[in-house]
This record gives sequence, C-alpha cells and structure tokens, in this order.
Amino acid sequence: MNLQLVGNLIRLRYRLIWAKTRSRNGKIALFLSGYLLLIAVIALLAAGGLGAGTIAVRAGKATEIAAVVLFGVYLCATIGTVILGFGMNAIFAESEMRRYPLRARERALARHIVAMLDPYWYLVAGLEIGLLVGLYLFGAGLFWLGLVAVLLLYVCNYVTARVVSTMVERMVARRGGATVLMAVIMALSLGPSLLMPYLQKHPHAAVPYLAWGKWTPPYGAALAMTHPDLRAVWGLGLILLWTALLGAAMAALERWPARARRASSGKLQWASRYEGVGAFLGPQNAILIGQWLRFFSRNNRFRMMYPLSLPLVGFMIYAFTRQPGMAHGPKVEFASAVGAFAIVGFIGTAQFAVNQFGYVGNGLRRYLLLPADPAAALRSCSYTFALLDAVLIVAGLVAWPFLSRGPFDPRMMVLLAGCSLAGMFLYLAAGLWVSLLSARRGNYYSSFGNDLSFAGNVVLIGTMMSLVFLPRVAAGRWPEAFWSGYWWVTLAAAALAFGIYWTSLERASAWFRARRERLLAIMEGRS
Amino acid sequence: MSSAILMRNLAKQYGPVIAVEDLSLDVPKGSMFGFLGPNGSGKSTTIGCLTGLLDPSAGEIEILGERFTAESVHLKRRIGVMPETLGLFEPLYAHEFLAFVARMFGLDEDTTRTRVTELLAALELTDSRKTLAEYSTGMRKRVAFAAAVIHSPEVLFLDEPFESIDPAGVALMKQWLRRLTEQGRTVFITSHVLETVERLCTAVAIITRPGKLVWHGDITVLANDGSIQYDGQEFRALEPLFLHLTGQHYADLNWL
Repeated sequence: MNLQLVGNLIRLRYRLIWAKTRSRNGKIALFLSGYLLLIAVIALLAAGGLGAGTIAVRAGKATEIAAVVLFGVYLCATIGTVILGFGMNAIFAESEMRRYPLRARERALARHIVAMLDPYWYLVAGLEIGLLVGLYLFGAGLFWLGLVAVLLLYVCNYVTARVVSTMVERMVARRGGATVLMAVIMALSLGPSLLMPYLQKHPHAAVPYLAWGKWTPPYGAALAMTHPDLRAVWGLGLILLWTALLGAAMAALERWPARARRASSGKLQWASRYEGVGAFLGPQNAILIGQWLRFFSRNNRFRMMYPLSLPLVGFMIYAFTRQPGMAHGPKVEFASAVGAFAIVGFIGTAQFAVNQFGYVGNGLRRYLLLPADPAAALRSCSYTFALLDAVLIVAGLVAWPFLSRGPFDPRMMVLLAGCSLAGMFLYLAAGLWVSLLSARRGNYYSSFGNDLSFAGNVVLIGTMMSLVFLPRVAAGRWPEAFWSGYWWVTLAAAALAFGIYWTSLERASAWFRARRERLLAIMEGRS
Repeated sequence: MSSAILMRNLAKQYGPVIAVEDLSLDVPKGSMFGFLGPNGSGKSTTIGCLTGLLDPSAGEIEILGERFTAESVHLKRRIGVMPETLGLFEPLYAHEFLAFVARMFGLDEDTTRTRVTELLAALELTDSRKTLAEYSTGMRKRVAFAAAVIHSPEVLFLDEPFESIDPAGVALMKQWLRRLTEQGRTVFITSHVLETVERLCTAVAIITRPGKLVWHGDITVLANDGSIQYDGQEFRALEPLFLHLTGQHYADLNWL
C-alpha cells in the first residue's frame, strides 16, 4: 500500500483549499467560514453535545437519550450530504489519480479519505465529541471507549452517506428513476404526518419498531459512550459490522458502473420542443432559452432536484416547524404555507440560479461569440429559471387545497401565488448578482457535491432557512398579518419583487459585459 | 486590396501584465493569414480582442471596413470563430450544437438541417449516439470547426485549428479553407505547425512576448523556392525565420 502517495494527495487537497484563499474573495470567505466554524463548533459542543450529555445522565436514561441525539446527527449528516452535497466533493477524478503510480485499491482509499476529511464532517464529529464530553463529565462511560465509538461512527456515517448518494445517483441516471425517487421522498416526507394521528391514539404500536433502533450504529455508539463494560464492546462491534456491510455495498456499487443514457436511435432528432417552450418569452429568446432548457434537462443534479423540490419543501416545513416551543394553530399553519410557497418560487432551480454559468465551462465562450448582446446569455438563463419555477408554482397551488388541513378561502390562493412570485423574482434577482460577483466553476456531470461559492451558499441556505422559520415566528406574534384578508399585500410584494428583478436584470447585464473576461477565466479554470 | 481586418495600436493589459502591446496589422480581404508566435506571446488574446471576447485596453479594430467592438452584433454575424478552448456545450449531441449555432446566426430551419447534415457527414461525425463530452479531442475540434463555418462567414478566425486532428481531417479542412479564400473570404489562423502555415498561408505576422509584432510579410516566395531576406540573412523556410525572430533556447539536462 503506497501510503506515502495517498498522504501526498490528502496534503494536496488541503493545499488546494489554502490556494483558494490567495484571492481577495477567498480571504474574505476564509475569514468568515473560519469564524463561523469556530462559533458553530463552540455552540454545538456547548449546547448540543454537553447539554444533551447533561440531560441524558440526569434523566437516568443516558444510553437512550445519547442514541436519539446521535441518530439525529447521523440522519442530518446523511441528508445534508445527499441533498446539499456537503462533504462529498470528488476533489481528484479517477482519471487524474490514474496518472500516479497507485493501484486501484490505493486510488479508492485516497478518494474516500480525502472525502472523509472534508471540513463538513468535522462539524458532525464536533457534535458527537461534545456529547461524549458531556456524558463523560457526568460520569457515564469511559472517555477513550467513547472516543473510539465517535471515530467509528464518523467513518460509518460517511460510508452510509456515500452508499445512499451513489444509489440515488444511479437511480436518477435511469429512465423513470427520478419519479421513483420522488415517490420515495414523498412517502418519507408525508408518512410521518399521516402516521402521527394514529400513533397518538395507539402509542404502543410503535414500540416494536422502535426496538429496531437498538441495531443501528448510533445506538452502538451510545452503548460504547455510556457503558464501561462488555456492552461497550458490543456497541463498537455493531458499528464495525455496519461499516463492513455498508463498505461492501459501496464497493459493489462502485464496481457496478453508472449506465449513461443514450439516444434511443442513431437518427438525428430535430424536434425542438425546448425552443417551442422558449418561444413563450418571445422569438428573440426562444433559441437561447431552448438551449438552456436542453442543457439543464440533461443535468443529473437538475433532474434529481427539480421534481423533488415540492415534496422537499413539504418535508422541510413539517420537520422544522414541529419543534417544541413553536406556536401552533390554523393561522400559524397558514403562515408556514406562506413561507413554503415563497420557497416553492425558486427551490427547483435554486442552486443553479446563484451560479448561472457554473456548469457551462468553456461553453461560456461560445455565448460570447454569438451574434447577440453578450448579456443575452445571462438574461435568457434567468428567464429559463423563471419558466421552470413557474411550473412548480402552478403545481404547488394545484396541490395545496388537497394537502391543507385548515379552512379554505380562495383569497388564500391569490396570497400564496403572490408569495411564490415574490420569492421567485427576489431570489432570481439575488442569483444574478451572486452569479456575476461570486461565480464558481462546477462539475456538470457530478450528481452531488456542493459547487456553490460561499456567497451562493449563504443566499441559498439563508433564504430557505429564513422562509421556513420567520413566517411562523411572526405569525405567533402577529397572527392577523398572515390571514387571507391581506391577500393584496403579497400581490403588491410580487409587483415590487418584479421591479427589483427587472432593474437587477438591466444592471446585471451591464455588469456582465464588464466582467465577462473574469467570468471566462473562472469557467475555463484559469482563475 | 481593401482590409478584412485592421488593427491600430492594439493593446491589452491585465493589471500590470502586458499581453499585447501596440499591435498594428492589416489583413487584406481574400488572404489566408498566419498569425504566429511562441507560447504566451498573445496570439489568443489578440484573437479574443478581434472576436469580441475581450475588450482591448487601447487601440482600434476594424473588420470588413467597420469599427468592431463586443457589441457589434451585425459584424459578428459575418465572422466565424474556432476558439482554442473550442467553446462547446458538452452535454449536447453534435447536431444539436451545430443547429443551435446555425439558428443563432440566423439560418432558416431548412438550411440549418441541410448544412448540419452535410457538415457532419463530411467531417465524419456520424455517431449521433455520442454527446460532445464523449467525443475524442480531434472530433471535438472538428465540431468546433464546423460551428465556425456553418454560416459561411466572410472572415474566419481559427485558433490552433489543426492540433489533434488526423491527417485526413487536416487535408479536408485545408481544402475548404483554400476554397473560402478563392471566394474572396479571409482566414486568420494561429498555429504552431509552421510547415502547414508555410504551405497554406499567403502572408504571416510573427509576434513575440508580450504581444509585440516583430515581422509581417508575404511568404508566397517560399512556396516557389524563393527566400526571405531579413536582418542581413536569407531564410528559405518559415521555421528558421521564426526561430531567429523569437529566439532559440538550449538547455542540457544531464539526467534527461
């Protein structure tokens, strides 16, 4: 095993991270992310880990509470990886690593170690170590056994995320795979809300199923953290067993190559349905919009995220607003819908809208060579997102009366449509500026990985989180403000947002002309 | 003969770095013009300025007698460009990409389909099951070449067109380029393959770092066993002239 070369690749990965800080934007990002990371780690250690540890020991149910906390972290890390792509970036492609004298097994090891040492996973480890310290300080278990459990759980969590991601990727690459995936996500997101009334009536019905939790890696880690005896060894063994099984699944999936979609026949297909869709926004835009639609429709990430967007919003609202201490009631529920519909307005294209040219590579050069205003590429891309978002808004509005449990008033539909349009236009406006000022070269062919710049992540995640929580908090304080009588307010907001979008489009077009050389350098990998 | 491309005191700077310095050049209509220089001498930057990709820091550009800037949409319709980085949309099939370019250049649907089909057949790009990402480097170059000529441009800019293309492909491209110049169209080529440039081009400009013109003239004499006089020396081929102008470096590494 050429561990020295594997070590060199890992060092190179960190040198590449450091190299990014040589630019001015990189320095700002480094400062902010370093600062935020420090604050986050301290907060997580103190509140999440130590707090949970304290409660666990004092409640006399150290193992159970530790298992619940670890399971939550495990699940969030996996979801964060699969949906947002954190901690899964392929830094060195297989073809790049083949240049070096490494065997297949060494290349795989280097690839996985590099991914496992992604700073995202440090946050996960920080929480788990926080819990361990909390448990240890209050006299539960042995520190070193707990530390071994945390490290094993860390590896197991990564392997789980990798297996799930690869399975989702393979599924999406197949015809109809995105639909199957959407059905699974719908079931997972709607299942709890359908089951909850039943479980409230029959609380013991869940007990036999919850017992399965004792066979999971987080429970194994909880045993090792809270028991200084043979039960700790059993817990460690359980994690090792899962890691081995998942590792075998990962190896099998990697040996089973992804099947690329092919044209169904060798005949040239001239049908231009994409241009037909683009013609909705005028003949002068039809060809460019058609081109963007074709471009995104072949992108795995887009094909996966776009149909999942609506169920995902439902899941997020359900998961985040059922926290203890949050206000409830029909008006508060409707406030959540207001936030959700604002998210529906942009979520389908959210990660592309804040990095419009991130996936075209040197195709950007082609746009600039065409006999059109150089900024036509920027505008047509933004129009394409608006068209795609509009489809989701309509779908969301059609679905809402069937999913809503509260009283129905037609004015609510107008209010929700206004929210969606306002969300869409404001996000697209922000996306134009982030795409110009904080663009980042992404990998078109990767289904996972977070390719966004720091500013892109802040806009994407910050906007979504704000829209999930703020309307509900505001509704708890001013419940009347979120009722259908104020339907006209969101229409006014949508009109204002459209004004902002249109002004941004004009200004950003001028900026695009001025910054096109810089964008070319970024997209062609020269900067 | 009137000018197809005219540069007056063209300069391009990236901060303190000078990429092109005070470059003045006149390329006559109907000529096959070679633009040569060592790596990093500013050839691609000059083509970038001439095709609207880059804004010159100073100087003026005229194409087909009209002042050219990045916003000169009507002039862009009359030029074709094959950039060094090709500028392809990789997830597309070759015919989709070429049809997109043709439509953007204003060709009607029937002409688009006819020309795309003919170009694909002539350049042997008939595997319609492969996307551009799955093509070899040479095939991708052929697609980029097809995209540059599909609208029959009056001025054609080709940045390193022959690299990675097999001899049969190069022969076909040369034949088409000769036909273009016979029709009075202009071809502006950068290449490091000096033998090809010598056989193909009628005039050549040689620049050195940083984008400074050191020689400019007719090279048709070389094809007729003639010679070029420069700096008191006689050059019977382009390569010795190029090496004389741009400098030759020797390094003896004892381990190599």
